[in-house]
Amino acid sequence: MKSYINNYELWCNAGNTADLMGSIYDKKSALVENETFLKDAIAGLGIMKYDDIYSLMKEVVSKVLNESNLKDFKNTLLILGSSVGGMQKCEDIFYSQKSYKNINPNKYSMNALTDYLVKEFNFYDSRAISTACTSSANALLLTKRLINVSAYENVLVVGADGLCNSTVLGFHSLGVLSSKKCRPFDENRNGMNVAEAVAVLLIQNKKTDNSIELKGVGASSDAYHMTNPNPEALGAMASMKNALSDAGIDAKDIDYVNAHGTATLANDKVEALGIEKLFVKNVYVNSTKAITGHTLGAAGAIEAIISCEVIKRALIPAQTSLENQSNKNIKINKENVKMEVKNVLSNSFAFGGNNASIVLGVCK
Amino acid sequence: MKSVVLNIVSSAKIYAAQKIENLDEKRLVPNMMTRRRLTRNSRIMLYLSDKCAFSGGKIVYGSCFGELEETAKIANSVLEGDMISPTSFQNSVYNTAPSYFSLINKDTDEIITISSGMKTSLDTLKTAALQALASGEKVLCIAIECININKIQEINRCTKFLEAGVAVVVEIAQDENEVKEIESLHVDGIIGSLQDLMSVANMHENGINKIKVEL
Repeated sequence: MKSYINNYELWCNAGNTADLMGSIYDKKSALVENETFLKDAIAGLGIMKYDDIYSLMKEVVSKVLNESNLKDFKNTLLILGSSVGGMQKCEDIFYSQKSYKNINPNKYSMNALTDYLVKEFNFYDSRAISTACTSSANALLLTKRLINVSAYENVLVVGADGLCNSTVLGFHSLGVLSSKKCRPFDENRNGMNVAEAVAVLLIQNKKTDNSIELKGVGASSDAYHMTNPNPEALGAMASMKNALSDAGIDAKDIDYVNAHGTATLANDKVEALGIEKLFVKNVYVNSTKAITGHTLGAAGAIEAIISCEVIKRALIPAQTSLENQSNKNIKINKENVKMEVKNVLSNSFAFGGNNASIVLGVCK
Repeated sequence: MKSVVLNIVSSAKIYAAQKIENLDEKRLVPNMMTRRRLTRNSRIMLYLSDKCAFSGGKIVYGSCFGELEETAKIANSVLEGDMISPTSFQNSVYNTAPSYFSLINKDTDEIITISSGMKTSLDTLKTAALQALASGEKVLCIAIECININKIQEINRCTKFLEAGVAVVVEIAQDENEVKEIESLHVDGIIGSLQDLMSVANMHENGINKIKVEL
């Protein structure tokens, strides 16, 4: 069975899908530089306008359901990818009360989000994946395999992460947080921007007039270091190769790579090397994190939606905030490129050397 | 919905009221610097995978509460206005334990981490079944909870064992002869998020080698 992405919507610092694509093509970063989390220090962040992650998820999921061919989610599996789950609210309780006493353990972890959605929408079943920044990419990976073996006809993938003290300050402690808006693949890049988002994709075994096919999925482990990628890009390349192989296509068939591109020194150097080795200069590459920031567990789902839009609009976005390209052996465009886009590869990489890549393309 | 039949190749379990002793770390992780960085979940993961004779391949790991000790350290640092330890932060993600396994065993295969509340170990098993079906390979299915943190008594209402883990290696069976549905063979006092996989490990200890799992 093939997998088709039939409906989707997101909410991030730039707004919804239409707003985000407008920002991407206009090269208008939605990142801000402020002191929200760091005392006496500035951080570049991707901050959403929202009340709480639960009501936001409900709103975005409702929109996807209303625009779909489903009446409800009774026969749909929910797969959530998140790195912090319900931690945002638990942190607030702990910091204000200096005690665990009023923290509900059921509201702490990833299942806090899935339990809420199951209660609101009556899904057939649910899973919650947490592999840090590959969480929702791995949710897409499992979805394709479940549909392929005819286990489910409908799967709703949700990527959701809200900003937390622990993530912002944690990345700060690693020295990888930029005080400015991030500049992926630039010679003078100096780190990433932590961000938040909710992204929802309905994936089904039957195509519609508006479908994008989820053609291939691949994953790998670096087995090298907990935070630094393998310097020869072996893990990243294995993930991309596995996705291409699963899709049954070659590197030359990819028109655009939506890179993980966090703008950290290590990630961009290694990812660019992997892309260079695999694609030479035959493919357009960029990172949309220059607009959204790094939405952690939601990133794979957000960037899958962006990739679908790039295919539908036949317009490859320019790289925002790029002045001097670091690795000149890959093709990063400074202006939008109008062309037929048949296949896109999207990368997500995470702590622990966890790598996931997906291939999306036009339906045959 | 689709079901598959799994062979249980091997199984292991371990738990303790406070802290599991003798996890054989020096043999399993000869490098002292690496050993010192391991989280409790990682040490238990290495122990259980060794007991299951699993040294590499696809892993599906489950934990409802993840690396709670590291997360608590971070939260307390934030509360006190102290700098967060970079090691605590890198060790706080839910895929920490299988990632250390991959690092130590040079295992470059896929790792999926499930965190589905009290049905974590069941969803871990379902996902391992999918991975086994998709790949045709043996898969390590493992679930661990370590909630032995300072002041845990403020919120712990669900377990007598603050450290516990269970693992099974599974593969797709070639036939359905003598297949069994998963029985409820829970271990009293173990956290609910591990009970389904505990039941499977107990079935295996009782001589049952084949189970049916809905994907």
